[in-house]
Amino acid sequence: MKKTIHRFATVIATTIFITLGLVGCGKSTDTPNANGEKQLTVGVAFETLQTEYWVAGFEAIKAELKKRNINVVEAIADGDANRQLQQVRTFVTRKVDGIVLVPKDSKTCIPAIKAANEANIPIVLFNRPAADAAGVKSSAVVADNRKLSRETVEFMIEQARKTGKKHKAMLIMGDLGDINAIGRKDGFYDAIKGQESVVEVVAEVPSEWNQEKARAGVVNALQANPDISFIFSSSDFLFPSVVAALKSANKYHKLGDSAHVILGGFDGDATAYQMLMDGYLDATGVQDVYFEAEQSVQALLDGLAKKEVPATILDPGFVIHQGNLPEKKARMWGANVGKK
Amino acid sequence: MATLTANSIQDARPAGVTQTIKRLFLSDYLILWLCLIYFVALLPFTPGFASLSNLQTILAYLLPLLVVALGLTLVLIIGGIDLSVTSTIALASVIGGKIMSSEAGWLAGSALAVPVGVIAMLLVGVVMGTINGFAVTNCRIPAFIATLTTMMFVSGLAIWFTLSQKIGGLPPGFVMLGQKLWLAATLTGLATAAAHYALSRTLYGRWLYAIGHNPRAALTSGVPVKRVTFIAYVLCGLFAGLASILFTAGLETGNPEMARDNLLDIVGAVVIGGTSLYGGKGRIIGTVFGVLFLALVDNSLNLLGLNFYTVTMVKGGVILAAALLDALRNKLLVSR
Repeated sequence: MKKTIHRFATVIATTIFITLGLVGCGKSTDTPNANGEKQLTVGVAFETLQTEYWVAGFEAIKAELKKRNINVVEAIADGDANRQLQQVRTFVTRKVDGIVLVPKDSKTCIPAIKAANEANIPIVLFNRPAADAAGVKSSAVVADNRKLSRETVEFMIEQARKTGKKHKAMLIMGDLGDINAIGRKDGFYDAIKGQESVVEVVAEVPSEWNQEKARAGVVNALQANPDISFIFSSSDFLFPSVVAALKSANKYHKLGDSAHVILGGFDGDATAYQMLMDGYLDATGVQDVYFEAEQSVQALLDGLAKKEVPATILDPGFVIHQGNLPEKKARMWGANVGKK
Repeated sequence: MATLTANSIQDARPAGVTQTIKRLFLSDYLILWLCLIYFVALLPFTPGFASLSNLQTILAYLLPLLVVALGLTLVLIIGGIDLSVTSTIALASVIGGKIMSSEAGWLAGSALAVPVGVIAMLLVGVVMGTINGFAVTNCRIPAFIATLTTMMFVSGLAIWFTLSQKIGGLPPGFVMLGQKLWLAATLTGLATAAAHYALSRTLYGRWLYAIGHNPRAALTSGVPVKRVTFIAYVLCGLFAGLASILFTAGLETGNPEMARDNLLDIVGAVVIGGTSLYGGKGRIIGTVFGVLFLALVDNSLNLLGLNFYTVTMVKGGVILAAALLDALRNKLLVSR
């Protein structure tokens, strides 16, 4: 008898739960501004805040939105594509006015973009574009990974040429499911092509954007090729791993030292900035995160105003090295990490 | 003269609010009550929480997690564990994608692409479950170690198989399995009903509990412990294969990292639902409530617009509170 009453109560409670849901008693998120106009709300969904670059990008976007008096709701998927899809759908439920998305990868973001498209919410991808897919509309603000990597490695090759000797090179790759990693790898080989008399690639380390894997790979490569003297890392966030491996092989020396290993990277983070200041790093390709944030927000506002927004907005970035450090460091986001 | 019985004595006690709360607290449906209380409590503060589209979002998120959790429930009831479920999901995802993809898939454009792909994904789950079951029952490797090694191996295999690339271009006939909510819910509902029936209405289900309580006593009583354990792991793998179908169709992508970071969430949901990590205790309906609770918490914290760091801490705290309540409830039940 008790069991029956209890089950009955459970069914009633469950029915109330479902009924409440179907009635749809959600609240409005509209917040009028000082002029009584509806204040815009933008959802910012990042795949991860794993590295300083993503943290800097996240803060830059929020700062840009705040500057324009736009509300922000944020969501971090922590590397889970399924959770990211849920988060974007949640933004749609909240009826945000726009979405800035850093996708987990170019393919798994397609359903999320579709959800935004169906709700007529403009969506801009930050730093990682979506794969081509029929009926899917978005804009992407991305660094020209291939060009910037090529320019960085070309600078490194010039430094190699000045030494008058041939160098053995190592490339540390990112996650090959990440289109950015592919672009940087292609840029590296674009620069190397035709320069085989100066640089010979003897090792490729697949880091999968993981510092432990990068360290293990670099250590193994240095053991197999102890005379490696030219290293390009697809991201500056892997530098701690590279430095640890070089130190353990007694190969971490400053510029000017005859045993200096020519080092180059990509991103422009705080580690790279410090290595430049300390004289260990030759060059890094800097993604202009402030430009990318500004362009992302502007693309959203243009989308809301029904203006034509290009599918891809390129951030040319710039190469920073010992020669232009004083003039370029203000624009290097890694130099500003930790500052108010 | 009226005969005093236990029931009549109980019926004579005054009902009272305290008694009602105590009864609810000690109820097998505690987690469901927690879900309802949580939902109602957060409604005034969470815009859109009870809207139809948000409930659909919650449902779409929890369905594949529930399917994996069903299989894990069976294994936990016998006192085992399967750490390889998420790797199985990933491997099934890329193999299914490789078969079905219109972008150079093995059966690209063929009418057989979807049925063969789906069968292949389920088979991957069955094969993984078979390997785990064999390792645990015949090789007598502790379940934690056996499934940890298969997790590592299969995870690497999935990434090697695709060189970390994602596989897109999945046919619409497959994608609808995850995108059409009614279809995904039907598949999940059928899987849940089957698991519930097996556990609560069949001899096999009673054997599972017996082994979980005391494997030696079960063996002495004539329970085919090895066979039952083996089948539990095979079923766990099968459910992982089915979950992979929902995950892959939902994201329209074969992904070698699919569900990689979901294992602890899934185990947590199963345990919150009342399944004991030591075996012998657990119910499918409890797992349903546990996964529902997890999905509600996740969704509500996103809707609240809290920053990322707060979300992870609050989520951990809420789930810990739920687990503590359940532990307290079990203690009170045992002491009665």
